[in-house]
Amino acid sequence: MKKSLLILLVLMSVNLFAEIPEKGKKIFPFPYQKYSLENGFKVILIPFDSPGLVSYYTVVRTGSRDEWEPGKSGFAHFFEHIMFRGTEKHPGNVYDSIVTSIGADANAYTSDDLTVYHLNFASEDLEKVMDIESDRFQNLKFTKEQFQTESGAVYGEYRKGRTNPWEVGIEALRDMAFEKHTYKHTTIGFERDIKDMPNQYDYSINFYNRYYRPSNCVLVVVGDFIPEEVKNRVKKYYGDWKGSYTPPKIDIEPAQTAPRMKEISYPGKTLPMIIMGYKCDAFSTSNKDYLSTFHLNDLAFGETSELYKKLVLNEQKVQSLFTNPGPSRDAYLFEIYVEVKDAKDIQYVIEEVRKTLENFAIEPVSVEKLNKLKMRNKYGFLMGLDSPNAVAGILPQFITMTGDIDAVDEFYLGLDAITPDDILHSTKKYFQSRSENIIILKGERE
Amino acid sequence: MKTIFLTILIGAFTMITAQSLDESRIVKVFSQFDPSISIRIVFNAGAQYDPVGKEGLSYLTAQMISDGASKVNTRSEILEKLFPLAASFSMNTSREVSVFCGRVHKDNFKPYYELFIQQILSPAFNEDDFKRIKQNTLNYLTTTLKYSSDEELGKAALYNFIYAGTPYSNPIQGTEAGIKSISIEDVKAFYAKYYNRSNFVLGIGGGYEKELISVLWNDLEKLSDGNLAAAPKISAKEITGRELVIVDKGAAATAISIGFPINIVRGQKDWYALAIANSWLGEHRNSSSHLYQVIREIRGLNYGDYSYIEHYPNGGSLNKPPVNVPRRQHIFEIWIRPVPNETAHFALRAALRELKLLIDNGLTQEQFAATRDFLKKYILHYAPTTNMRLGYALDDKFYGLNESHLARYRKALETLTLSDVNSAIKGYLQYDKLKIAVITGNGESLLKQICEEQESPISYSSAKNQEVLNEDKFISIFPLGIKIDNAKILTLDKLF
Repeated sequence: MKKSLLILLVLMSVNLFAEIPEKGKKIFPFPYQKYSLENGFKVILIPFDSPGLVSYYTVVRTGSRDEWEPGKSGFAHFFEHIMFRGTEKHPGNVYDSIVTSIGADANAYTSDDLTVYHLNFASEDLEKVMDIESDRFQNLKFTKEQFQTESGAVYGEYRKGRTNPWEVGIEALRDMAFEKHTYKHTTIGFERDIKDMPNQYDYSINFYNRYYRPSNCVLVVVGDFIPEEVKNRVKKYYGDWKGSYTPPKIDIEPAQTAPRMKEISYPGKTLPMIIMGYKCDAFSTSNKDYLSTFHLNDLAFGETSELYKKLVLNEQKVQSLFTNPGPSRDAYLFEIYVEVKDAKDIQYVIEEVRKTLENFAIEPVSVEKLNKLKMRNKYGFLMGLDSPNAVAGILPQFITMTGDIDAVDEFYLGLDAITPDDILHSTKKYFQSRSENIIILKGERE
Repeated sequence: MKTIFLTILIGAFTMITAQSLDESRIVKVFSQFDPSISIRIVFNAGAQYDPVGKEGLSYLTAQMISDGASKVNTRSEILEKLFPLAASFSMNTSREVSVFCGRVHKDNFKPYYELFIQQILSPAFNEDDFKRIKQNTLNYLTTTLKYSSDEELGKAALYNFIYAGTPYSNPIQGTEAGIKSISIEDVKAFYAKYYNRSNFVLGIGGGYEKELISVLWNDLEKLSDGNLAAAPKISAKEITGRELVIVDKGAAATAISIGFPINIVRGQKDWYALAIANSWLGEHRNSSSHLYQVIREIRGLNYGDYSYIEHYPNGGSLNKPPVNVPRRQHIFEIWIRPVPNETAHFALRAALRELKLLIDNGLTQEQFAATRDFLKKYILHYAPTTNMRLGYALDDKFYGLNESHLARYRKALETLTLSDVNSAIKGYLQYDKLKIAVITGNGESLLKQICEEQESPISYSSAKNQEVLNEDKFISIFPLGIKIDNAKILTLDKLF
């Protein structure tokens, strides 16, 4: 039996969706079932032609955004670590040995708005996985010693990241751009808070009880399984999960009224870096201004943009140019990252970025180019769905924004409907001098 | 409708020529359900072919092909044409090979293929692209590698230490002096010599029409005449004991890499036995790694600790082994992610002590069985897509395997015994002759501590059980046996 399973897995051929949907048609190619248990726990089941393989994602709709108490940044990420310390029924070493015994590919990640725990494994091990996963979400138990040891690993992760100048720059950008909102800190947290983590054992239990609640979590299962069987098991393993969830009250960021700029130094050698952030809106599938920024992202800053051609290819003053349009649960920034080859060009490059944005606020983009971009987005999205893990992997960020998988289709339908006038209006609205934030980072060594 | 169109298109292509195919140099991974087509062309044109004094030439040439203009289109035009296709192509240079890779949806294959093949057959090699790519490469070597990632720097320093004076020594991107000395004429000459019709293996995967193979092959026949490249001899200097290089760069944390060459490659029975032992000791980015348990999980000293018997570039960003980075010789490697400077000596001792314990004692039956069972399923995650399976199939060709590596791996896991694994450990691993590369911030003091075998006690912010504290006593005095003559401190300017 086992042998045949292995052969099946080896010969597996993933049956992918080949057709590109016409305008106005939904893009997500796989049928799915979604429902909630009485305790508010949401479940999304997506059968996928991947013989013998399953992808299992648990999305906690809490990330570093929810760390609103002063001195407590970094706890959402810290829980990503602590969740591997086990329960009474499955202590950490038992949990590890079960995951190892089934050869699961298991990991987790945290961002501003979510924490995701994911495993890929053989279908025959699905019940075992449901047993250990449901247990740690309901009955996590860790000692003060384990907690303190893990805080050392988290500090190690922070140290690892600090050698990267981009991380140093982003940390400074957020700290400057936000006064009230928790987006002020990065996901890993302020260093002072990470250093203090060993003293926060009691708080950590409070954090778990507050956010690891059924109605704040969503389960996504993609792959080779029988939905009815999984439904019964979900009820068995997650049905008794108790506890109500109250969303935290996150401070609203006051409107920015003047541009902000700061120069910082990096303790090493690096090309000068410019990180610009313009205040934008929260994720929405209906806000045309917001949706337009995703098109602006490619049209103004992508490899075919005039700015890229000028600064990277022709003048060669810039080594790299990239952007981050989101998404985020609350209003965040549209971020522009530029690595400049010579510090004397910093001001020039900033002006070129501003001029580009001014242009997009006046000149409508060509309909032909916009249509090409829409086609590119669809092909790009569908080409990425080539394994159960890839399908499950694109969902958490949508699910965390709205709590619902329908956000995928709504988002792409929204993008499809954007017109050149929408982009013009959006650029004019967001990219104003008063909502601009700029960090200039220079290396201390020549 | 679409299929008919593609058939007509391919028919038109095939009428042009009818060269005979050399099936021994074609690798196919067909999948009727895959709506995409993947192409990988493996050229024997990796960094080991860099002429002395022009280190980085293979990398620059490859980048000029993938990121420069063709004789038909400027770089801007290429990007513009690729844009609606949601596709791109890239060159991945490693030690032995440079691989030109692309993947596109079937619907977009025709316009994509035109661009793809022009890059490889008719690169423009213009000065503007050269200036840009050369400068970017230089910036990578002098700033990104040396200052932004101590982990990658530690690994690069280890390879440099082990393979000093051989074509395996430098980073794939070359050296600062080498890159500076390269001209566009050098690039053209390297292309003419190594990108010839005898020096590649063609790989194609996904939902392609079978006629496409002839189209591709016949187009690649248009490359210039030439020979299969003769790979240079790799003979690392004999390691005489435990040798240490410390790169002192004022870092706030210490990254450690340890290794020595092993004369075994995938395909050999012992490789799979050794793979089981290695997985137990240090499975990449996995909490099942014993080193991870000892250094991170129990003691919280860092973010992770792993070991390898095959080259694993970009380990910080990959969770599964990369494809198409094959080598004739690999090293056994231990990777200790950054630890606080004050615990560097302790962490180094802990890692080497675990290696010694593994070699002295081997695995227990329980450890062997658990690791074997883990791998039986875990390796199924190595190649989940057609594109990855194509990568593995091309590597099989490099290693001369008729039966695929992953199939052998699975079979070996069914038949290998504890005794096979423990004799492979004895046969290929050792702790007397190895090299250690350390990136740190307090080089002089660390060197003194290590060479004087000073005790390296450790304290924790949390209580630890007695078992751990007892073990710490052994670790803190574990003899490293590094003589001062076998240890040196380098500054960054002396590297690459």
